[in-house]
Amino acid sequence: MEWVETTGISVADAKSIALDQLGIAEDDAEFEVIEEPKAGLFGRTRGEARVRARVRPAVVRGKPERKPRASADKRKESSPNRSKDGAKKERSNSTSPNRTRERPVVRDTTDRPPVDPDKVGEVAAIFLTGITEAFGCKGSVAVKRDEDEIEVTVDGDELGLMVGPRGATLLAIQDLTRVVSQRRLGDQVTRLRIDIARYRERRREALGRFANKVAQEVKESGEARMLEPMMSADRKIVHDSLAEFEGVTTRSQGEDAQRRVVVEPIVTA
Amino acid sequence: MSDYENDTDDNNAVDAANAQEAPVAVAVLTHIVKNIVDDPDAVSISTSVGRGSKLSLDVSVGPGDLGRVIGRRGRTAQSIRTVVRAAATQDGVDVDVEFIDD
Repeated sequence: MEWVETTGISVADAKSIALDQLGIAEDDAEFEVIEEPKAGLFGRTRGEARVRARVRPAVVRGKPERKPRASADKRKESSPNRSKDGAKKERSNSTSPNRTRERPVVRDTTDRPPVDPDKVGEVAAIFLTGITEAFGCKGSVAVKRDEDEIEVTVDGDELGLMVGPRGATLLAIQDLTRVVSQRRLGDQVTRLRIDIARYRERRREALGRFANKVAQEVKESGEARMLEPMMSADRKIVHDSLAEFEGVTTRSQGEDAQRRVVVEPIVTA
Repeated sequence: MSDYENDTDDNNAVDAANAQEAPVAVAVLTHIVKNIVDDPDAVSISTSVGRGSKLSLDVSVGPGDLGRVIGRRGRTAQSIRTVVRAAATQDGVDVDVEFIDD
């Protein structure tokens, strides 16, 4: 699973930027603080906080068997250049995909056979079929797989109840489906997403369109715009859809439920 | 333990009284809980009058399974409540879900 590396004015700031990039909640993330910001004169901070984060591999049982120490040491060896001087260099290197691929697998999965992602999808699909029936809804369940990423979709009419206000029920169902598939299979590597009634897909599209519209306005007016508070997955959609947009930049600010994306013009002085 | 099984019969833990009061919510709750626990046969659901005269769906599970349905920081329990409350709107009732420790 890939790591992302982010910087921010504080460790907390860098962490939440990382969460945005990964599109996950703090509970699902694993962090490593690479560099703390140094305190400068007059309370100013010199230098940025730098953290590394990734999606926490799901560990269902056997927590006592984990060996985080050993693996942390191993990672340190693989990147000796993390001193202050090397930090800048490190940053530009670490975004290359090759590097992240090479990282050693941190959690030991030796006590379990490798999990077949198709099996995870199958278990998830069976569970979702059962939920849909129990809800008294009609829907067809399909599994899409792209390497270790699995999306299970439920399509049909009148599935709104299973989506809920702002997708809250959908999120809870996704949570439970993950619990079930991990529980059954001890799945540690697969990323599982659920979509119901194409809610996520449509939300992604709508949010992307909205973000582009805002970006256009920001570019024309030269004035930053603050969007409403969103969950990290939604903020990620905004960041992603504006990553290529010329003339604006995005960042997140605020804490927890109040965290929101700010779209700012890039001023060329 | 990681055996893949799909033999859960969703209705054998549901008594007739529950099914009348909130059949959809109980069916959804049963399906979820049985798929999470180690021992699906030990799952039983009864009802009582909860806070604010809501219908309380009381779940009891086999030894050692309670932690599993509650999850880290109660996250799984919270997700179960969210989904079951949504299901209960099909029944036209408000429900609470309680996990009984015994």
